[in-house]
Amino acid sequence: MDAVRIALQVLLVLSSLVLTLFILLHKGKGGGLSDMFGGGMSTSLGGSSVAERNLDRFTVAVAAVWATAIIGLGLLARFAS
Amino acid sequence: MLAAFVRAFRTPDLRKKLLFTLGIIALFRLGSHVPTPGISYTLVQQCLSAGRAAGGSDQSGFLNLANLFSGGALLQLSVFALGIMPYITASIIIQLLTVVIPRFEALKEEGQSGQSKLTQYTRYLTIGLAILQSATLVTFARNPSSLFGGSCPTIMPDDSMATILIMVLTMTAGTGLIMWFGELITDKGVGNGMSLLIFTSIAAGFPASLWAIKENKGWGTFLGIVLLGIFVIAAVVFVEQSQRRIPVQYAKRMVGRRMYGGTSTYIPLKVNMAGVIPVIFASSLLALPGLIAQFNTRADGNNPGWVTWVQQNLVRGDHPIYMAIYVGLILFFTFFYVSITFNPTEVADNMKKYGGFIPGIRAGRPTAEYLNYVLTRITVPGAIYLALISLIPLVALVLVGANQNFPFGGTSILIIVGVGLETVKQIEAQLQQRHYEGFLR
Repeated sequence: MDAVRIALQVLLVLSSLVLTLFILLHKGKGGGLSDMFGGGMSTSLGGSSVAERNLDRFTVAVAAVWATAIIGLGLLARFAS
Repeated sequence: MLAAFVRAFRTPDLRKKLLFTLGIIALFRLGSHVPTPGISYTLVQQCLSAGRAAGGSDQSGFLNLANLFSGGALLQLSVFALGIMPYITASIIIQLLTVVIPRFEALKEEGQSGQSKLTQYTRYLTIGLAILQSATLVTFARNPSSLFGGSCPTIMPDDSMATILIMVLTMTAGTGLIMWFGELITDKGVGNGMSLLIFTSIAAGFPASLWAIKENKGWGTFLGIVLLGIFVIAAVVFVEQSQRRIPVQYAKRMVGRRMYGGTSTYIPLKVNMAGVIPVIFASSLLALPGLIAQFNTRADGNNPGWVTWVQQNLVRGDHPIYMAIYVGLILFFTFFYVSITFNPTEVADNMKKYGGFIPGIRAGRPTAEYLNYVLTRITVPGAIYLALISLIPLVALVLVGANQNFPFGGTSILIIVGVGLETVKQIEAQLQQRHYEGFLR
């Protein structure tokens, strides 16, 4: 049981790091504060490139791994003790 | 109204966008309930109910605000515990730095490319702040009595260094993920993602706080507060929608064989140009003295004089001095923020460049002066309105004994109404592209 737990933890650490990295690689789409709470005018234009779309796919995959690791650890903690 | 909803869902690509947005929101709410590895869910629930039984609204104001923004996820220490807060803080910092640092100001002037560079900086800063805040939160979690108050021995079965590191990493990644969720909504869904996520978090807390009032005070007060809430919402919608329209006439120009310009439009000056940001600024700033005082309290209860004074006057929301400072700060920040976001000189210059003028006023400096005059005058009621709305929860605290997150007032109502209006307007614009009837007439 311990081996599974440690494996999941390692997976979680790795996926967390990669996930953060991938998210930072994205081009920011938010327009900052005034965009968030109204005030001022803003326009958002432009689609996403092929590279961006591939990055999206990778990010979703890593996020899935990340979520699985978290849920797995949670289940282990629930039923192990 | 309902027919417009049905039509919105009949339009294929709008339906896709709406469903995408709803899906992301569902994921976000789901993640707010998944406990971080290393935290025992059962122990947290025990502590929460123990804290509630002890009447636990004695947390500091900042923690309350953060918890509000994370939709209760903070106190559950879930993977999304930090919520959107680091991003907000980072945006505020970057926004303020544009006034201070010349390079940032140059980037802001640059337009689209500079703005995206600033956004990139905000994202890096968000991750940095997320590491910092998650480390703080985990430190709190090791000694949970400061978080929940009263009887709460521990919520972490195993507090070794490795576990702590994993928790910090997980929460940081969670914050990043939320940021990405927000951007995805902005990009592929409807409305502004970040503000929609904040909206979701706050709205998620609504039923619980309303129910708490019913439990404590009975049906009479409950109904009264719901009626009052509807009235306040209507009033907020009214003020948010109101604007002064300054007419602008564009001169006709011949370029080649075509005629340009000659149209008359207007510059809309909203009564509440600043939105909720002054309230957020004021409450985070006002939480600082309490925080400093908390660090300076001695264990033996023998505190320096100023610490006692701060804790008596500046931490409790229903104290007159607190209210006075709060109102003062909101008034100040409203004018400050409006002056950051709307620059009359710039607008006047732009108008001059494209051959526009306000009827009866010369282009150039007189226009800038006129705009500034109107703007200042219109911001006065705007600022007073903001201060009044944000005082509602404090007054309710005294009258009904509700907790600080009183649902109909302050930051929550301003954000809810503001974001709701904005999103509905966007959907409506999308509908109108296809000649359909919108929600608002």
